[in-house]
Amino acid sequence: MFGISKRFPGTEALVDVNLEINQPMIYGLVGQNGAGKSTLLKILAGEYRQSSGEIRIEGNAVDISSPRRAHELGIGIVYQEFSLLPNLSVAHNISLGQEPINGLRIDERRLFADAREVLGRIGAEAILPERKVADLPLSERQLVEIAKVLTIRQPRILIFDEPTAALPEDDVERLFQIMASLRDHGVTIIFVSHRYREVLDVCESITVLRNGRVVGNLDRSEATLERLVDLTLGQKAETVFSRQAHSVLDGDPVLEARGLTVGTKVRGVDLSVRRGEILGICGLLGSGQNELARALGGDARNVGGMIRVGDNEVKTDSPQRALRHGIALITENRQDEGLFPDMRVAANISIASLGKVLAAPAVRMLSRRKERRLTREAAAGVGIASGVLSRLVRVLSGGNQQKALLGRWLMRRCDLLVMIEPTRGVDVGARLEIYGQIERLVHEGTAVVVVSTDVPEVMGLADRLITLYQGRITAEFDPRVATEQQVSLAMQGALAEIAPERDTEVLR
Amino acid sequence: MSSALATIRDRARERVGGGYGGREFAQSFGIIAVGVALLIVFDLTASSFLAAGNIRNIFMQTSVIGVAAIGETIVMLTGGIDLSVGAIAFMGEVFVADLTMSGHSLGFALTASLLACAGMGLLNGILVVVVRIEPILATLASLLVAAGLGKLVLNLRYLQPTNPVFGRLATTNVIFNLPIMVVVMVGLYVVGAFVMQKTQFGRSIYAVGGNKRAARLSGLPVARITIAAYTLAGFLYGVGGFLTVGQLGLVSQNDLASANFQAIIAVLVGGLSVSRGGLGRIERTLIGVLIVGMMTNYQTIKGIDPAFQQALLGGLLFAAILVDRLIRGRS
Repeated sequence: MFGISKRFPGTEALVDVNLEINQPMIYGLVGQNGAGKSTLLKILAGEYRQSSGEIRIEGNAVDISSPRRAHELGIGIVYQEFSLLPNLSVAHNISLGQEPINGLRIDERRLFADAREVLGRIGAEAILPERKVADLPLSERQLVEIAKVLTIRQPRILIFDEPTAALPEDDVERLFQIMASLRDHGVTIIFVSHRYREVLDVCESITVLRNGRVVGNLDRSEATLERLVDLTLGQKAETVFSRQAHSVLDGDPVLEARGLTVGTKVRGVDLSVRRGEILGICGLLGSGQNELARALGGDARNVGGMIRVGDNEVKTDSPQRALRHGIALITENRQDEGLFPDMRVAANISIASLGKVLAAPAVRMLSRRKERRLTREAAAGVGIASGVLSRLVRVLSGGNQQKALLGRWLMRRCDLLVMIEPTRGVDVGARLEIYGQIERLVHEGTAVVVVSTDVPEVMGLADRLITLYQGRITAEFDPRVATEQQVSLAMQGALAEIAPERDTEVLR
Repeated sequence: MSSALATIRDRARERVGGGYGGREFAQSFGIIAVGVALLIVFDLTASSFLAAGNIRNIFMQTSVIGVAAIGETIVMLTGGIDLSVGAIAFMGEVFVADLTMSGHSLGFALTASLLACAGMGLLNGILVVVVRIEPILATLASLLVAAGLGKLVLNLRYLQPTNPVFGRLATTNVIFNLPIMVVVMVGLYVVGAFVMQKTQFGRSIYAVGGNKRAARLSGLPVARITIAAYTLAGFLYGVGGFLTVGQLGLVSQNDLASANFQAIIAVLVGGLSVSRGGLGRIERTLIGVLIVGMMTNYQTIKGIDPAFQQALLGGLLFAAILVDRLIRGRS
């Protein structure tokens, strides 16, 4: 690929990207979210057209005008979100859209034979083509996904987009064996992952993207975890937000967890959150941080271990119960799990505190006056203009919607607020406001847990920061002295030597 | 600086969004406009349409469906649907008539019948919430159960209850020359609107229908609220069944056979959505009920073939859905 650029209205997603793969190999492509990886892949897969630049395959310039054309050229993509139809059989899924035809009907016998053959090619004979996809475990579905891509006539380039995010360790190993054997059969693999250790394990050559540009082409021999982290982060590491005052970390613990597990996603986490502090939790996508947060807020299944609030051991097996213990949860999915789009902002704020705005408790009648007064207070507390309160929440910007959710919990007064990705879908200006509101909550004595994949965000916001990798805590930092590099390395699972500061200790 | 800009932009966006209530207003205004337009057309083409006696008729004919539609509205506001309206009302009608005729007091008969209907509603709620059956299937099953129970008790008889109170429901006028059953219906609408707009229960229903996940994460007892909605609906269907006895004076196999469609159509004409809960108003359902009632009444005055009447009702349903789409699409 030579000089590939892609412009979207208002942004340049890719700028003059060159990528050269000279022989069949496993090729790594890394970079942060928004670095341009997905755009590059979509150009290769025929979903986007490049704005300028040229793609050559075996010396010939090609025009990848559609996914179909990409298939004809031997380019296939294994997506990170599964694209299988759960109610169809394995074989039907594999040949979807290109079923062998016998006259007017689908040739069922050939369909199953073909599926068996292609599954055999990746050593997955154990998966019966007759089985329904819905009945297969996750790891086997991934294999079917690969088999499906292999049916393109002559695969030359296969793209694996974050294939390991959902897989348990054993299956990752198996996936790498399949990738290696495909390579040995002359197929080039482009492996995209946020897990740099895996990239280092399997890739012969690695390209790093940052802000739409290639910032590094490394051979396996010269690549190290540290170099990859440095390259993806760049020099800037600017602080997004800086606290006015950090909290004194001597408050009483609001919540303590011991040996907390959630299914196979969180595997034994000990943590404590103190009154008046912001605890940041960082992890790569799928490292268990969201599950951990949901477990605290009562929105997870298969939770094990112990949670203690104040002096009592509690079970937070529903949001209702978690709230009774003073724990509130704002998830990363504001539209589906936070807002009531057709209700007014005021009603969105008061919904969790209806008991406080009753006029006649006997008939549970609401008092307009009390509701107006308390929602105004809450709105003022999180920086929402009182004129906005009577609008429908759906017409608000992302920033104001998020403030409305903060207002909901401010009105209820909780002891611990757990927020997942607090500024997703919030534009830059409003972000700072949100950070400021979170800081104010903390000054009033609430404890806050912020979970985010955005390291600079958490480093600017938190009093204390822990990193998760594969469901376990890898390190704890004081964000005032830690660097983004150190945190990123810990998120990659590296127990790097971290300066033994007073508040910084490496756990297990 | 940038945050000030963002605030200005936020404000601008909010204003562009039309402020609050634009759609609410369009819907309320739209349905009242349709009602008035029909009223004028009907009055011009059927001379006796707006006569006091005929208005009384329209209200009387709609009171049963009207009461049942309150229940249906509550269920649909939670994001569900209830197909067992007519069947539960029919069961209630048979129970109350049969119990009074076998020597029980009216008070006992009515209480037992309403409890049975509420029980069917409770069953609906449990099937939907606990067993997690789709509302449309769960209530289809209860439709058959309730209709079956009613017919079992009726056993191919005609019941003509002798208790005078039934007759008085339709004949004793309270105010404006309107009989008890109409006053009951209007009263229930007043109470219903109050409950839905001004109480914690009503607010919770809107929240559950508006976004079930968010309601759960806000600490609302979603399961309990949903079950309560279905149970309350069952109770109201029972009241509708009781009024039916007064309206017809005679209980037979095929009573309330078309009540399902009429109630659901009335609710939809009133602007509720089948696919989404949390949107709509009890008051508007009343207008929907009156529109359906007016159309039926007009067709009867004009002597239109009942089969054709049914087709027209279908047309009305189409129209209601289209109007809903238009309003929704614009916002």
